[in-house]
Amino acid sequence: MKNTFQISILDWHTFLLGLSKNNSVYVPVKTYDTIDYKLFTEDGLNIIYNVAKPVTPLKAFFLPPKENVVIEKKAYNKNIIIGIPACDLKALEILDEIYLDETWLDLRYKENRERAVLIGTDCFETAENCHCTSYGIEPYPVNHADASSNLHFAEEKRKQVKKELVEKNRLLPDYAKTGSLIKNSGEDLWEKHSRTCVSCGACAVACPTCTCFLLIERPDFEKIRQVDACQYPGFERIAAGEDPLRRKYIRFRNRYLCKYVWKPEDFKSVACTGCGRCIDSCIGKISKNEIFIEMAESS
Amino acid sequence: MIRMPANGIQYKPIKASVEKVIDESPLIKSFVLIPEQDFSFKTGEFIELTINGTGEAPFTPSSSPLEKKKIEVTVMKAGYVTEKIHALKKGDVVGIRGPFGRGYPVEKFYGKQVVILGGGCGFAPIRSLLYNLIAEKEKFEKVILCYGSKTPEDCIYKPFIDELRQIEKFEVYRSVDKADESWKERQGVVTVLLDDIDVTINKSVAIVCGPPIMMKYGTLKLLEMGYPETDIYLSMEKNMSCGLGKCGHCMMGKFYVCKDGPVFTYDEIKELPDIWL
Repeated sequence: MKNTFQISILDWHTFLLGLSKNNSVYVPVKTYDTIDYKLFTEDGLNIIYNVAKPVTPLKAFFLPPKENVVIEKKAYNKNIIIGIPACDLKALEILDEIYLDETWLDLRYKENRERAVLIGTDCFETAENCHCTSYGIEPYPVNHADASSNLHFAEEKRKQVKKELVEKNRLLPDYAKTGSLIKNSGEDLWEKHSRTCVSCGACAVACPTCTCFLLIERPDFEKIRQVDACQYPGFERIAAGEDPLRRKYIRFRNRYLCKYVWKPEDFKSVACTGCGRCIDSCIGKISKNEIFIEMAESS
Repeated sequence: MIRMPANGIQYKPIKASVEKVIDESPLIKSFVLIPEQDFSFKTGEFIELTINGTGEAPFTPSSSPLEKKKIEVTVMKAGYVTEKIHALKKGDVVGIRGPFGRGYPVEKFYGKQVVILGGGCGFAPIRSLLYNLIAEKEKFEKVILCYGSKTPEDCIYKPFIDELRQIEKFEVYRSVDKADESWKERQGVVTVLLDDIDVTINKSVAIVCGPPIMMKYGTLKLLEMGYPETDIYLSMEKNMSCGLGKCGHCMMGKFYVCKDGPVFTYDEIKELPDIWL
């Protein structure tokens, strides 16, 4: 059995304060209606526990939006990340498979990954587009975290949240079959659903499993790795101008083919954990869940 | 075993100085580079050539894989980085990362008639392969090169072609889309050369490298001739960037061309969407 112990909230904050002297402690904080990780500081923050998910996916700690991948890092302290939802912990499986591959190991990712201490949390409430259970994920940490912290332990709460999620996403097709629905859907469907897409790439940036990046040259043969997205025009363009992803609906479809068809062929699972951030962040109001339900209904 | 570039740093290139610039055609130049440390690659593998502070682009070396001190790349001026590469002069310093990817499985060609179909700047990887085949020529029944370019002026590696024609077991056929009075060889798209060659398909393998449109029709012609899909080797051109199968710019279906390719058999990729784009 896992070791569980209780601590008063005041003692917990004193503990975090102690940790933050020699480490970077990140906690989920609510600002207006947004929850995101913030660095824990002495003056106290509006830390919020057992919420659905911070807007920033966990991957940003290992693959930051911008990072120099050539210069050696100075000695650094640990990144202690508190309040990680189960969907983001699950996403680590595919990130690690890609970046910690034995043959094609990415040293900078490995360094960033080893730097982190992961403290998971149960989701006591769900956000509008949460659908982790549709991907076989429990709404509480099962593995991949070093520890979990909760306001209180409630087996009943876990059951209730899970039930809520299952109920509200009952129309979604089986995630293992979504790949073949995507593969077999006609171009009309992609054209129709990509109409309001503005190729902003927010879906990929917010996604806990999208990991494509751009290498930018700097003087002295240095390189910056920057988050990139296959939704941006020119992502696959080659020098002579050929571009397999030239058309918007092809780019739009590409992201789903990658996640549900190609990734499972090469890695252990689909590259989606049902966090719903792509739906939250889409300014074109595109919901992949609505697309998948439509596919399932017309198949 | 971790696949690591020559200097053990994944994203930092080793330096190389430009020893010689060769004008191959109005749009194509070759650059002989001397890396600061020995650099080896297998034929068909590629490198990332870095212009300091500007950008990187992938090229399959056109030199012999047996040469460790020098490396040659052949570059067509086609975009921002290649324009900067074309401006290089003797003595300039560039960066090299790699080698990356999966090259030509030369040992699978032993005992066979090797048919090579090349177009334009696609001759670059092929020349490297030919150097490899020349070094082991007793192991092949014969090697047939079919090379096409737009005009006689666009034909690259002219001195190499002359040398190749003198080598036993090697046959060279060339065509141009638009001939002039000086042209004594075939006119037409490169696939017309396949009508001229004497080859026993079941004892042969075919290798194709060139612009996408040529790769497409070249492959279709080879299939029509009866080549099995597993014996047609294609060198795919994609936007390879990191070289480690991570950045996603060269994805072709489930494959990352930078680590799973750039050399694929037609059989491996035929089901994927838009491979000829």
